[in-house]
Amino acid sequence: MESLVYIALFAPLVSSLFAGLFAMTPKKQFVGVISSLLLFASFVASAILAYHISSTNEIIHVKLMDWIAAGNLNIPFGFLVDYVSVTMMVVVTLVSTVVHIYSNGYMDHDKSFNRFFSYLSAFVFSMLVLVMSDNFAGLFIGWEGVGVCSWLLIGFWYHKADVTRDVNPSISPSWAANEAFIMNRIADLGMLVGLFIIYWNVGSLQYDVVFKAIPNLTPIILTTAAIALFIGAMGKSAQFPLHTWLTDAMEGPTPVSALIHAATMVTAGVFLVIRANPIFSVTPEVSYFIAALGTFVAFFAASMALVNRDLKRIIAFSTLSQLGYMFAAAGLGAYWIALFHLAAHAFFKALLFLGAGNVMHGMHNELDIFKMGGLKKVMRGTYLYMGLASLALAGIFPLAGFYSKDAIIETAFNEGNLILFIILIVTAGMTAFYSFRQVFLTFHGDERYKELGIHPHEMYKYVLIAMSPLAILAVIAGWFKGWFNSFIIHLLPNYEMSEHTHHLALYITLIVSAFAFGGIILAYIKYNKGLVRSEKTENSLIYKLLINQYYIPILYEAVISKPYAELSKLAWKADTKIIDTFVDGIAKVLYVSGDKTRGMQSGNLSNYLNWMAAGAIVLLVVAILSLVAV
Amino acid sequence: MSNILTILVFFPALAGLLGFVIDKNSARVYGVAIATVEFILSLFLWMTFDASNPTFQFIEHFPIVKDFGISYYLGVDGISLFLVVMTTFMTLIGMISMSVKDEIKNMVITLLFLEMTMVGVFLALDAIMFYVFWELSLVPMLYIIGAWGGPLRVYASIKFFLYTFTGSLVMLVGMLIVAYSFSQATGGVWSFAITDWYALGFDMKYQIGLFLAFFIGFAIKVPMFPFHTWLPYAHGQAPTIGSVILAAVLLKMGTYGFVRFSLPMFPDASVLMILPIAIISIIMIIYTAMVAYAQEDMKQVIAYSSVSHMGIVMLGIFAMNSEGISGSVFQMLSHGIVSGALFMLVGVIYDRTHTKYMKDFGGLASIMPRYALVFGIMLMASVGLPLTIGFVGEFLVLIGFYKVSPILTILAGTSIILGAVYMLTLFKRSFFGPVTNEANKKLKDLNANELVSFIPLVAVVVWLGIYPKPVLSIIDNSVNYTLSIMEKKAMTPEAKNIIIVKNSKEAK
Repeated sequence: MESLVYIALFAPLVSSLFAGLFAMTPKKQFVGVISSLLLFASFVASAILAYHISSTNEIIHVKLMDWIAAGNLNIPFGFLVDYVSVTMMVVVTLVSTVVHIYSNGYMDHDKSFNRFFSYLSAFVFSMLVLVMSDNFAGLFIGWEGVGVCSWLLIGFWYHKADVTRDVNPSISPSWAANEAFIMNRIADLGMLVGLFIIYWNVGSLQYDVVFKAIPNLTPIILTTAAIALFIGAMGKSAQFPLHTWLTDAMEGPTPVSALIHAATMVTAGVFLVIRANPIFSVTPEVSYFIAALGTFVAFFAASMALVNRDLKRIIAFSTLSQLGYMFAAAGLGAYWIALFHLAAHAFFKALLFLGAGNVMHGMHNELDIFKMGGLKKVMRGTYLYMGLASLALAGIFPLAGFYSKDAIIETAFNEGNLILFIILIVTAGMTAFYSFRQVFLTFHGDERYKELGIHPHEMYKYVLIAMSPLAILAVIAGWFKGWFNSFIIHLLPNYEMSEHTHHLALYITLIVSAFAFGGIILAYIKYNKGLVRSEKTENSLIYKLLINQYYIPILYEAVISKPYAELSKLAWKADTKIIDTFVDGIAKVLYVSGDKTRGMQSGNLSNYLNWMAAGAIVLLVVAILSLVAV
Repeated sequence: MSNILTILVFFPALAGLLGFVIDKNSARVYGVAIATVEFILSLFLWMTFDASNPTFQFIEHFPIVKDFGISYYLGVDGISLFLVVMTTFMTLIGMISMSVKDEIKNMVITLLFLEMTMVGVFLALDAIMFYVFWELSLVPMLYIIGAWGGPLRVYASIKFFLYTFTGSLVMLVGMLIVAYSFSQATGGVWSFAITDWYALGFDMKYQIGLFLAFFIGFAIKVPMFPFHTWLPYAHGQAPTIGSVILAAVLLKMGTYGFVRFSLPMFPDASVLMILPIAIISIIMIIYTAMVAYAQEDMKQVIAYSSVSHMGIVMLGIFAMNSEGISGSVFQMLSHGIVSGALFMLVGVIYDRTHTKYMKDFGGLASIMPRYALVFGIMLMASVGLPLTIGFVGEFLVLIGFYKVSPILTILAGTSIILGAVYMLTLFKRSFFGPVTNEANKKLKDLNANELVSFIPLVAVVVWLGIYPKPVLSIIDNSVNYTLSIMEKKAMTPEAKNIIIVKNSKEAK
């Protein structure tokens, strides 16, 4: 079994290095094929491991070698395959394999085809390190690793120039890449502090040691550690106020958006909370904050998706919103439900994004849904996939999203928190509305693209076939909820609804479904026939607020980026004009005093005598004064 | 090879003397050959070094001026070992990558002399010897900047010389006072041996005064805020090879001085000074990171980032625990490799375009992909990405100092954010975006000679990022020994409380 762990972990690394060998050469088809095969090997190994664990309940723990050891700190490279990590491994490698195959088609005309596969596989490797590590420092390796890969992939088309926010809200791929990296780094500092707190209070960063030591720790230490770790999670999972990078990250190629910015990397924050659940479950205040923030983000992101015109950005906002749902579940203590939604979301969201990629490919990189419409005639397969994924996202029975989202809303009810409960239900309705607004505007109604002279075409057949596993899972994943529950509670605390909730469960489901259907119907009425724009709505305050993302990116620029740049310039000025001038001033004083006193050396003997007398008097005075002082 | 340390110190200089008779055209090959031999010697030292022994090894000790206790005293421990290896390594790489054409023979000879002084500083265990090497190292650098530098070279080199020289004079006074106190304590026996000085205790007033005297000498060299303004001029004017050696090795002399002298000799004063030094370090980290962000000139970004990273090193030294100090020593190595490499990289593009301004570039990644790759790796090491050499030291320093003060550590930790800000901005402005400058379209990617110098650097960056143990464990061993000296000597309860020796006190 150990060798399977290594295959699962290192096959993507091998793939990355192999593709990297050809990074600077023109496209080679075999690079894509071999990469995809290696990823598939990783998936098979993960699946076997999952089967092994579910059938034998044996957890696999391997230690490679020491990494950092100094003082009492000892961090090994250790990997743990248990119920949680194996779930993540299967999800990650499955989606990755599909995305790798998909990229063969999507990137076929890109001159940096080989480089793309190198980055993509490197990402998968980092992500696996993140989920498989047996300690917090190892998690941090993966954490930073996925950050760098995300930076590389968002900025993949680095040659594009910066434009203004009006033309492209993300400015440019390289700008978006830097924004993502820096914003994540802010959160990473929080994460590091969490590690420091744990280390100095426990003496180790190994999960098992840390979790065992929790009863000995004071509440204040646990609370600060939980806060610090959650700050880290907020960056990776793009929670408010560190959320702006995620939509800008859509500058990356679409397979990247599907894999990194929807299915896997952005869920790392949720994973951290789930992984460290022994800490979060004893810090109720922090957990409650997580749930509240998650609920807020769910609603907040959904509201921005309502009016957006950019196909990928709409899906990105919905990702943000669904991450909010996951945090809501985790914060309320339903860790396994959070993980379940994470997995289900990975399948249907990746499918949705890949579908969007097909549209983009067919529409020659056009992303404005106002310029699409009626595409279902030319892109039947994609239409089917995206419709299916949107149904799952909206939470329609019996698709995956129905089971997972419903469970989260039920949890909110069960906790007796009506405010969260209501917001989450309303958001479910909004989710259905914006998902189908996008589906109808893209695939139904009048064919607005014709005016633009675009001739859309369907994606390659093999790509559509490669997407089918995701489509199947988007449908059936929810049916395994009961099985997943019995599997995962070996490690995660079970979350059971009270008797009361149980009785009302059917009604809650009906309410949620009513909202979801309501959203879809509303979208149908408004957008099925075609695009009807109303000046009045588009000029209203609320529309402006939403389309400009509540002006938050502009606010950040005005309040953080610009002042920081100004202050930096000021600091530079101070450095050269004040500090350095002072230093040179001392030198100048010495020089000038030497220059001035040079006049004393006049060669005139009587002058010298005068100076000598003056000197003698000064010495005398000093001598007397010092005697008096003694 | 019982005299290996003597050979290590003087071989480059002797070979340099021979260099005067070498033909001009073969000077460079000669230099590379000598530097290679020296590097292999240092590797041999590492191989034969007893990793389990935390104290000084390969000691060579005999008196020179007996009455004043001045002796020829060399020795190496885990702290100095890798600084020596790093010095010989960077000299070799610098020599290979050197693009200087004029007066190449003089340059080679100067570098070899410089190498002697650098290795000498790290191996000297007699304060006078240390001081002599310390001051001698200024001369070749003065010459390198003054003779091969840019338009302001004379101003820059004199500023560098006078500034650091003034500081070290104060340090010399401190050394003389220590030696005098030693003779007072022993009834007239003088000694300048550092190991003798370690055994000497001072009362608090003396400790503070002496600490400050040494501090001036070391702080200017590091350079600590606000004594850092000579550095941007020196880097701005120095030829690439000068900047590489300056950033990689010469700055480390200052921080090495703190570890070798200040900590074990004045433990109570060091503990007392934690707060002021931490504040200065944090100013260095944040303020110079901001100044770096404001720069237009690529080389100045790296120059200021050096100061910022040295702030991390300083902070770690004053963590008073093995995590922090070992991290700090490791960070010295990592900064040496990474900043040296970054200066070399700037040199590559400067040689081709004769400009260092970011606005003249843009889109370099598509013209010079290999160059962009190497630069990208060094950039990631510079911002402290895990599994690169840059992470290990920074992480250990921060974790170590967290024990001393969580708040100050968080402030210092902004380094990981601000570092990313200026480095990524530099990378974006120079490497990303469309190629704006037509002339740049014809630029050649790294050639074979340049690859030969960069590949070892990349290899070390990755190797010590993934597996730092062979280096870190040796450093940690000696650092722990130094801490145990400090703990034994410490008089004040504050100092006893804050100094943590591994295994003797449980991490609370």
